[in-house]
Amino acid sequence: MSPEAIPPTRRAVLRAGACGLLGAAAGGCGFMPAKTPDADQLAPVRARVDGDLVYFNWADFVDPSVFKGFEKEYGVKVVQSNFDSMEGMVAKLNAGNRYDIVFPTAKWAQRLVRGGRLRRIDRSQLDNAQAVFGTYDYFADPWYDPGSAHTVPFTAYKTGIGWRRDRIGDLTDSWRDLWSNRAKGKVFLLDDRDEVLGMGALALGLDVSTGDSGDLDRITSLLGTLRPRLRGFSSDSYNNLLNGNALIQQAWSGDMAAMLNQAENPDVFGFQAPKEGTAINSDCYAIPWNAPHPGTAMLFIDYMLRPENVKKNIEYIGYPMPVAGTEKIYADLVEPFPECLVTEADLKADLFFRNGGRAAEEARDAAWTHVKAG
Amino acid sequence: MALPRPFTRGRRDTSGNRMWVWLMLPGTLWMTGFLIASLVLVAVLAVGTTDELGNPRFGFDLAGVRALADPAYTEVMARSLGYALLTCLICLLIAYPVAYTIALHGGRYKHALIAAIVVPFFANYLVRMYGWSVVLSDDGPVLRTLRAVGLADGGTKILNSGLGVVAGLVYGFVVFMIIPLYAALERLDVSLIEAGRDLYGGPVRTFFFVTLPATRQGAAAGLVLVFLPAMGDFVSAQLMGGPDQIMIGNLIQDKFFQGQNWPLGSALTMLLMLVLLIGMLGYLRRTRKDEAEARR
Repeated sequence: MSPEAIPPTRRAVLRAGACGLLGAAAGGCGFMPAKTPDADQLAPVRARVDGDLVYFNWADFVDPSVFKGFEKEYGVKVVQSNFDSMEGMVAKLNAGNRYDIVFPTAKWAQRLVRGGRLRRIDRSQLDNAQAVFGTYDYFADPWYDPGSAHTVPFTAYKTGIGWRRDRIGDLTDSWRDLWSNRAKGKVFLLDDRDEVLGMGALALGLDVSTGDSGDLDRITSLLGTLRPRLRGFSSDSYNNLLNGNALIQQAWSGDMAAMLNQAENPDVFGFQAPKEGTAINSDCYAIPWNAPHPGTAMLFIDYMLRPENVKKNIEYIGYPMPVAGTEKIYADLVEPFPECLVTEADLKADLFFRNGGRAAEEARDAAWTHVKAG
Repeated sequence: MALPRPFTRGRRDTSGNRMWVWLMLPGTLWMTGFLIASLVLVAVLAVGTTDELGNPRFGFDLAGVRALADPAYTEVMARSLGYALLTCLICLLIAYPVAYTIALHGGRYKHALIAAIVVPFFANYLVRMYGWSVVLSDDGPVLRTLRAVGLADGGTKILNSGLGVVAGLVYGFVVFMIIPLYAALERLDVSLIEAGRDLYGGPVRTFFFVTLPATRQGAAAGLVLVFLPAMGDFVSAQLMGGPDQIMIGNLIQDKFFQGQNWPLGSALTMLLMLVLLIGMLGYLRRTRKDEAEARR
């Protein structure tokens, strides 16, 4: 190589590198302290077709025939994409991806509302809203979204214990059943920080969302006694029970109800919502501040709330929905596991996972690391 | 393309170099944009902070780095290192005979055999591991058969043990060991082995004093290729391991998802990279020494 040729080469390569770094720095701007959007300033939209529906939810959370019906009735397409965690969903929203409708859990709905990222929803635009808010007082003014100004509830579920009745018989309706000697070495906990710490808190009679270091120490040492009996942390409760890896598994009610649909003989399984209390969770419909077609999203929410569509979805995913007149459908579905039902009293017990401050969240995170890594 | 003309220093020569600049441009952009810059981002976020929504924000806060002092992380890091090294060793023991047989005795089936090894790896690692977790489950076909023939009792389990995790890692990455070893053995001059035998070396002595040293570089490349992904893996520990088999990859994943603690996750990532870098430096020193020897 000739000596004169070297300088331009190196310079050009450096220049190219600098361009690349600039591009990445632009990508990193998402991490700058930025002014939060304020969706509250946006007027609620009318329910009318203003384009195709860009839909963002867990996979398999709506009966496909409901989508087909919606597409046919309103002459629009449903453009689907899925997330695999709340964190993933919010990261995409924060990165500026635009969706018409998202399905945050209560805790995340509160974060999004506080962050000014959800549009207000005018209930008078929804023909079927009365079936929700007229009957379920709780959701008329939930803790995560005062007055349900930005959200409409979608499903509600609780956390309990699923077990193999055929292998270990009956349990005692307590979280302490997880320590049962009959199941030693075949116990799974959900791979979920809040659920595991919340279970420890309930067993000790503490607040499920506690961020207090004294409380968390007590929870960690209690769970330390469970750890040697554990087989693992896994949220695949359904398969763990089915393939025999788990005799006892901390599980979400909806997953157990879905299992009833599949199991040849439901009698071999049991599900209990322990007497110390069970964590309650719910998720909801929400329209992001930058939704390209909020009018279609309003139509979609209303369509999903029609009794015939609620019925299809309940049967498809196994989660109850707080819509008046559909309670019987769910009760029939979970007849072998009546404890899957989420009643108004369950909701009012208020064992929801709340958002803590930064210090509390970090303390919970550290406690979870100790529970998980020993 | 014009032939290289090393003795002239005209315009043509420089423009030839310009072409190389253009050819290097996409690669350089790609590497700086997506590799180096993302590393810089991780390094900066390691001392960053989070806002009240749990979103990562640039800033200067050593909480994430300080949290690394927690002995839980050291323990998990040491376990991951142990698993990764054990995986390397087992991969080497499995891959060498396989590569040796195919390269020296494969004949005209050589390429078909290598293809047969590579094809299963077209399917995603995660999907294959899910498959294994079903096959090896307590009521799965393997344990049911073993129980039926009396080789296992009700308490025997394969999943959720250290053995399961290492087996998963070996299964996932053994091909990265076979390929470089095969390439090294392919290139091996067979007359060297013959010479060894002519000099009265038995098959074992010839193997250890001729074949093995001649393919050392292939083995070293394979070790690095297996060690790097095995050390950072979280799939095997998630699907085949239990509470006592958590690896560093699982903890890092937790910090970015459930924990919503990107600064701590980034700090853990930097720590992991430091460990990997030490392994990499060892490899580089080794190869440089080999090169120096070869030049002599």
